Amino acid sequence: MKQSGGRSAPKRGARKGKPQPGPAELEKYIERSTGERSEMQKRLLKILKEMERKLPESVVESVAERLEGIEVRDSTLKKILQKACDRYEEHLIDPNESAGIVAAQSIGEPGTQMTMRTFHYAGVAEINVTLGLPRLIEIVDARRAPSTPMMEVHLAPSLAGDRDLAMWVSNKIETASLLDVASLETDIHNMRVHVLPDSERMKRKDITLQGLRDVLAQSRGLKDLVSENDRDSITIQIPDPSFRVLHQKSEITRDTKIKGLDGITRAVLRKEGGEYVIYTEGSNLEELLSFDLTYGEYLGATDKARYTEIAESEPARLTMQVIDKTKVRTNNIEEIYSVLGVEAARNAIIEEASKTLEEQGLVVDIRHIMLVADMMTNDGSVKAIGRHGISGRKSSVLARAAFEITSTHLLRAAIIGEEDMLDGVAENIIVGQPVTLGTGAVNVEYMPEKKV
Amino acid sequence: MIARGVSKRISSIRFALLSPEEIRKMSAVKIITADTYDDDGFPIDMGLMDLHLGVIEPGLRCKTCGRKVDECPGHFGHIDLAMNVIHVGYVKEIKKLLDATCRKCGRLLLTKEQTDEFKKSLERVEEFGGDVADLGLVTKETVREAASKAVCPHCGATRTKITLDKPTSFREEGHKLTPKEVRERLERIPDLDLIPLGLDPRVCRPEWMVLTALPVPPVTVRPSITLESGDRSEDDLTHKLVDVLRINQRLRENRDAGAPQLIVEDLWELLQYHVTTYFDNQTSGLPPARHRSGRPLKTLVQRLKGKEGRFRSNLSGKRVNFSARTVISPDPLISINEVGVPVAAAKELTIPLTVSPYNIDALKEMIRRGPEPVTVTGDGKARYLPGVNYVIRPDGRRIKVTDKNAEQVAEMLEFNFVVERHLTDGDIVLFNRQPSLHRMSMMGHQVRVMPGKTFRLSLSVCPPYNADFDGDEMNLHVLQSEEARAEAKVLMKVQEHILSPRFGGPVIGAIHDHITGAFLLTYMNSMFNKNEVMLILSMVKSHRDLPKAVMTGPDGKPRWSGKQLFSLILPETLNMAFKSSICVNCEPCLYEKCDYDAYVRIKDGNFDVGTMDEKAVGAFKGKIIDKLARDYGSDTVREFIDNVTKLSIGAIMVRGFTTGIADEDIPEEAKKRISDSLESAVSRVNELVRQYKTGELEQMPGRSMEETLEVEVMKVLGKARDGAGDIAGQYLGMENSAVIMAKCGARGSMLNLSQMAGCIGQQAVRGERLSRGYWNRTLPHFKQGDLGAEARGFVKHSYKDGLTPTEFFFHSMGGREGIVDTAVRTSRSGYMQRRLINALEDIKVTEDRTVRNTADSIVQVLYGEDGIDPSRSIQGDAVDVDGILIEALGDEAQILAKIEEKRFSPYATLEKDMMEGQEEEESEEVDYDIGEGDDQ
Repeated sequence: MKQSGGRSAPKRGARKGKPQPGPAELEKYIERSTGERSEMQKRLLKILKEMERKLPESVVESVAERLEGIEVRDSTLKKILQKACDRYEEHLIDPNESAGIVAAQSIGEPGTQMTMRTFHYAGVAEINVTLGLPRLIEIVDARRAPSTPMMEVHLAPSLAGDRDLAMWVSNKIETASLLDVASLETDIHNMRVHVLPDSERMKRKDITLQGLRDVLAQSRGLKDLVSENDRDSITIQIPDPSFRVLHQKSEITRDTKIKGLDGITRAVLRKEGGEYVIYTEGSNLEELLSFDLTYGEYLGATDKARYTEIAESEPARLTMQVIDKTKVRTNNIEEIYSVLGVEAARNAIIEEASKTLEEQGLVVDIRHIMLVADMMTNDGSVKAIGRHGISGRKSSVLARAAFEITSTHLLRAAIIGEEDMLDGVAENIIVGQPVTLGTGAVNVEYMPEKKV
Repeated sequence: MIARGVSKRISSIRFALLSPEEIRKMSAVKIITADTYDDDGFPIDMGLMDLHLGVIEPGLRCKTCGRKVDECPGHFGHIDLAMNVIHVGYVKEIKKLLDATCRKCGRLLLTKEQTDEFKKSLERVEEFGGDVADLGLVTKETVREAASKAVCPHCGATRTKITLDKPTSFREEGHKLTPKEVRERLERIPDLDLIPLGLDPRVCRPEWMVLTALPVPPVTVRPSITLESGDRSEDDLTHKLVDVLRINQRLRENRDAGAPQLIVEDLWELLQYHVTTYFDNQTSGLPPARHRSGRPLKTLVQRLKGKEGRFRSNLSGKRVNFSARTVISPDPLISINEVGVPVAAAKELTIPLTVSPYNIDALKEMIRRGPEPVTVTGDGKARYLPGVNYVIRPDGRRIKVTDKNAEQVAEMLEFNFVVERHLTDGDIVLFNRQPSLHRMSMMGHQVRVMPGKTFRLSLSVCPPYNADFDGDEMNLHVLQSEEARAEAKVLMKVQEHILSPRFGGPVIGAIHDHITGAFLLTYMNSMFNKNEVMLILSMVKSHRDLPKAVMTGPDGKPRWSGKQLFSLILPETLNMAFKSSICVNCEPCLYEKCDYDAYVRIKDGNFDVGTMDEKAVGAFKGKIIDKLARDYGSDTVREFIDNVTKLSIGAIMVRGFTTGIADEDIPEEAKKRISDSLESAVSRVNELVRQYKTGELEQMPGRSMEETLEVEVMKVLGKARDGAGDIAGQYLGMENSAVIMAKCGARGSMLNLSQMAGCIGQQAVRGERLSRGYWNRTLPHFKQGDLGAEARGFVKHSYKDGLTPTEFFFHSMGGREGIVDTAVRTSRSGYMQRRLINALEDIKVTEDRTVRNTADSIVQVLYGEDGIDPSRSIQGDAVDVDGILIEALGDEAQILAKIEEKRFSPYATLEKDMMEGQEEEESEEVDYDIGEGDDQ
């Protein structure tokens, strides 16, 4: 629904290139989102075409939905559609309506009724999410990262009921640093760092000693230093005695990420209608979408017997992705923008904003939120509402000066010879003229007859 | 625009830099003396108050244009600066120019090809509709590229590094560049090289950024005030200009006298300081210039900037005449689109009328009444009739009408005179309450002049204004042109705003007692005898006849049911069915046979089953109001709301209704039960704490031990509070006034009642139990480390019981958080709304239904993806599909059954419940400015 020509391709996502879901998966997604038109819907659309009138698809859909499975004659349908069209046209918005101001008021006014409390428990009791006014402000500010990033990860439909699998996936996603599973000891005398794994915690996180050793051996700065064959600890030997190096290496060791995706600090399971859903604290859409986890891998790691069994009966299942990537959600709009593009970001803004308002029990028509989202994403990138975004880029000097940082705008306008065309609202108020919206947008001309 | 038949419009404003020549050319006088007035208090020639600059004292004439005060707009003068001075606003720009150009030949440090390329990319950005910020980015890139060159591609001179010593001095490889040298270099930059640098040579030469002459603003811009003592107090700008002149004078003298370089340089720097602070007294790195009293001076930039600056307080917002402000008070008997205006105000506020053959007689009559008309009519009561304050002749002369000259003025009245008559009944005015958060904060009302000193308004319009009567004041604006009045009548009248554009539901409707009244009138089998019926109906306007009484009372006289009376105000064609607020959602729903009388059915305007309460007639939730507004038009709803108000008041007066603390009385037995259940909850908490201390508590996944305990305890105590409420609720039945109000949605909630009668419950700060205060304890009344219920803010008592001292303290802690929250919230949300408005203000729907901004770029191809006006939408849907189906299909049972199910899906709002708790919070004088940090 937006104009966003070739320029809308997000710079960052396009460069990195890889995280888009595969073509097959994408196809599935598109199919799901538009849905098949039902028989009734097709019939209605046909009649509508014959009538040469127009109705939005959503209206046709809801009419069809209610009439589904009922015998109705074409003439009756025509009567219904006729009425629907008449009503639809009555309900159309008037030209010159100042839709923007109405939208801004409709979102701003309930702001006074929202709670300020930052932390609330939404859906999952274990994960904190910013809600209410602070969250709404965060959305319109187009912040780089939300103060409480969060993801919702669904499993492939056929596997979603498997708790163990869900647990295994959440373990794979969740970041574990070395300190989560082991303790460190610095041996100054021998110039060594000892890593002492906690077997209990290792087990819970599903990490083996060898695995830990491999990760350490691969991490930058520790190459060739990691001992090969201790039985229940890992030693990192510093070749040339130097306290500085020792300290440095010990720090590297401590900060090593053992497994999981960057930024995802916690993953929690929740059962929703027979399905297990993973909620994460922290968000990393890009890596999650390219995260390769097959069912075979899971079985191979946990249940060898079943692996062979399935390998024989339905080998296709083994290569099946465990995570349903079409259903992944995140509340980080910037991330959605860079991975999936502006249109996705626009939808994310709409969804996040309406969710925030809804959670507070406030009803705001979705059209207002859409307008804000469309304005924010109008030129192909996500821009904030405020002086660093839309307001700072208005075409009128006076409007910009009237908003914030007055003197800078005026001084600059003088040297680049800006011309204020006075077609916005703020400018015309400043010079004392009627604005160009609503009744100010139309003029009545009266030509008195000339007297002879 | 009605400016005497001429309609002009400023089409655009171009900005440019003033050149020294222009400054001198537009100057009316060259200022040389730092003195202002001579001993007689007369302005000194060639001083800062020179009469060539305009006049501010009555009696004097401007020497430039010859006009008097208020007629002369003022004229600029100028100061010739002895030495060049850099303009603070442009230091960064100058730095950029110096960096990007050759010190010797003044050319841009780029080859021809590069220059062309940058020019091209500038053009491209412009072509693609890039804004100023985008152009800025390109020029920034140009400068960066040029500044990276080591030698000039044109003359081969090596580039030197120039550093900026904030705020205004430049240094080239250690030695200081004087403004004079800077100016010389800027002069050398050819016009063509300015374009890729983003400067427009037609309006600005870079050397103009170094000042040689300073314009002196007209005295009208900086008027001096004469104090009561007769002393003159000069404007801040004048003070600053005096400083500039004084130093300028000394600098010139010293330089001409050949004073040592050092002294000249010091004075030069001082002059630079004064000129800098004259422009901007908040330049970072400079101490602000101060007034004698120590207050920093308000110079040019300070005049423009910020909320109190010229832009936001004088240009974007303007003071108006023909307005009034006073306290508001309620009047249930006036219509929602009326406003009661006190007589005193009506006599001050006027409406201009042009005399024509059609109104001359009426106007003459009005003028004869004079400015203070109180006409006594037959019955001895004073009745208000409008008079006239002024008559304006076509030549512009205003004649004040007095009691003495009234007759005379009336006689000389001719066509095309303008008569300013008093406000009178039926005039349309705008009524407003701040904060004006949405368009319903300013609506058109019809005037009703009344005795008294307050504005009176109908209670039903309180929700959109968010008004109450605890001292709120509101503003009234009288429209002055026919065009404005027509617009207000068509677009702004209250009845046109019953449906909110925010969610497409009603925002105006019955509130508080009016809901209770409607409830009492219609609940179950309430019956009224003839006297009562007459009383109730006496104020109601209905065109329907009173039907036959439904029964005969024990006294043998007829009885009418409340439902019959309510039917009288419904349109005869109305058909509706819905569930009331009192519905308890039992399964299965018995519909018409509901035990609670909660299923409302209206058939052909006859309402025979159910109860009228918040869901039917309330603001935000009233379904009947919603339906009427959509299907019957604004005038019908207005009348309906007015009638509901009067009917309800009649009913509540007949029945009688009161509430008091006695409504929360519960029997001893109930109290015992409550305290027992609370006791057991407390001991369960103690048990949890014990388990936690011994480590027996089972840890929740992803939680620490402490968190687990807190969650468990909160759960137990939350349940305990609800349990206490439930017990209390069992003893409070529908005969209880407070319960009636809570159930029918008039005021209060069952939660409020259970806190009054049962138990207040856990107090929380930041969603957690109270924990701060002393070392490991909240108050010294408890042991250190006590994690039990009482020690962490659980209030066992009810409001009615009264709180123990510790409970009271905890309760205040919770209350404080709420207050802080409101204070922070209003300012934050205010700033967010300002930003939203600013970002979206230019957006409109065009004739082709695309949504565009005023620069004509498309934001949406079709408004809201379906082109539907949210205020006309059916709770967000484009059309009322069910309604259409019912209409079109008549009675196909299958479908209607399906529709029936869908119709009861929960209706929109929780809104009112949200507002309930906050209504009493009022925070005065909110400063909406959070973000105004200047990052220049």
